[in-house]
Amino acid sequence: MPAKLTGRPLIEVRQLKHTYRSGGEALKGIDLTINTGEMIAVVGRNGAGKTTLTKHFNGLLRPTAGTVLLDGQDTAKLPVAQLARTVGYVFQNPDHQIFHERLFDEIAFGPRNLGLRGDELTARVDSALKAVDLTEYRDRDPGDLSRGQRKRAALASVLAMETAVIILDEPTSGQDYQESEQIMEILRELNRRGHTILFITHDMELVQEHAHRVLLIDDGKLVIDAPPQELFRQEQALTSAGLRLPPTAELEQRLAAFGIHSDAGTVEALATSIARRSSRIIARDSFDENCSGGVAACQ
Amino acid sequence: MLSITIENLTFSYPDCSSPALHEINLTMEAGEFIVITGATGAGKSTLLRSINGVIPHFQPGTLQGNVWLDGATPSGRVPVARVSAPQLARFIGSVFDDPEGQIVSPIVEEEIAFGLENTGVDPAQMDGRIAKALADCGISHLRHRATSSLSGGQKQRVAIAAALALAPKILVLDEPTSELDPDGTEAVLNVLSELNKNHGITIIIAEQKVTLLAPLCDRLVLLEKGRIALQGPPRQVFLHPHIFAKLGVELPAPARLAHALVQEGVLPPFDSPDAPPIPLTVEEAFTLSRQLL
Repeated sequence: MPAKLTGRPLIEVRQLKHTYRSGGEALKGIDLTINTGEMIAVVGRNGAGKTTLTKHFNGLLRPTAGTVLLDGQDTAKLPVAQLARTVGYVFQNPDHQIFHERLFDEIAFGPRNLGLRGDELTARVDSALKAVDLTEYRDRDPGDLSRGQRKRAALASVLAMETAVIILDEPTSGQDYQESEQIMEILRELNRRGHTILFITHDMELVQEHAHRVLLIDDGKLVIDAPPQELFRQEQALTSAGLRLPPTAELEQRLAAFGIHSDAGTVEALATSIARRSSRIIARDSFDENCSGGVAACQ
Repeated sequence: MLSITIENLTFSYPDCSSPALHEINLTMEAGEFIVITGATGAGKSTLLRSINGVIPHFQPGTLQGNVWLDGATPSGRVPVARVSAPQLARFIGSVFDDPEGQIVSPIVEEEIAFGLENTGVDPAQMDGRIAKALADCGISHLRHRATSSLSGGQKQRVAIAAALALAPKILVLDEPTSELDPDGTEAVLNVLSELNKNHGITIIIAEQKVTLLAPLCDRLVLLEKGRIALQGPPRQVFLHPHIFAKLGVELPAPARLAHALVQEGVLPPFDSPDAPPIPLTVEEAFTLSRQLL
């Protein structure tokens, strides 16, 4: 369950700048407010600053300038151990966070640090393993798992912490379609239960289907902060930030000029809309079926 | 010209009860662009490893059947198992899905030179080969960078450039764009397409998502638990949405739209003689939809 929070914004980012020691200015002044219960996609090209931004939310990075407030408290003054109780982080590369030789111990590491022991600890770990479909590997060495499985193991170790905020860097890369759907379903369920979810991704179809809000980062700046449908209407900004419209959204936009409208974001809805406008009917009674909603449905 | 013939190939990893590949028969002609797809555990990576020689040279397990290379030696076809790994590396370049595990050198330039040195390339040629491989992958500017400072996407392109520098006849790639942004993905796919079209290099690539690859490839091979479920040109393979659904592989949006239009009764079923070809790109799907309005 999410920790009890005050009515303040969950995360407040004010004029955040970050310059790496190598000299690169990765963030150039970001202002942003995130509220409890949001499901947010962070998008942008490789090197835009997505990971640098989100690593400030759990203290993995500290601001060079500006502030990040977590539940009203300045993260620069909070110890990482305390931040870790509120903000869980799943890295892009699972091997950067997996270090135990038995999967159970890997997942138990965080909850143990929270003070959990005995049955409570076991229950917490087993439920996280079940959520990511890795129960059968409970006593195996994580090193024996495939990369996709290790990614889910890394996710389980964060799930087991039951933090209010969960940040995931490319949660579905290397996963097949069903595994991606499974991971996103876990995140949606956590979100329904009140957890705040941020995920970094290049997959615009994932953004279209699962995010309520998208942050487009380019060259260390927050370029667009909008719901997916609104972002997809700004194709120019998207393209110049190195991204592409998802195919369904691109089709929708190109067909809009011909009176096709479907905001459902699925090809099926698009096909229904095309069929309604089409004079060409192949199958016998499908036109009547489409018009069963009355004349209005056929306009 | 180097072609590959896979005959009755069955492979089991040690301590695994069921084989990862089961009686695979497949021919890959020189110059083909082939995409291997399927759910996790279907055998995509195992198939690639038996082509590039990782199986049996480095990966223990039980192997039956053969992977033949035809055109590698003047004496006719030879099984991959009987060609030494360094010799295979002259013909077949490999790019794995985990670039961090593949890159061994501290500096990008040294990473590209590593394979050239190991295969005995004349040092006088090296500079030009390195420059060309980096340019072909659009990363000339990274030549003197530390490999540890690169993003995941940049590392993937370095791994491809390192394979390319060896001037292989066949490139085998396991999810080479998994960590690339859309620009980077497009750049890499354009490189692969160009190498295939203009240099005749055979491309064999394993991918979960085939949307961007479908318009580029000659053939899609869909694996299911170590067996070939479906193979053929993408327009033919996409005629079977139920098989994609059953195997948990996503059918690309343009093809899904076409099938939905058939469901809606505005397109004839794809098995009828007057059916249009299945669209592979957004452009084709748009044109098809436009004709219905």
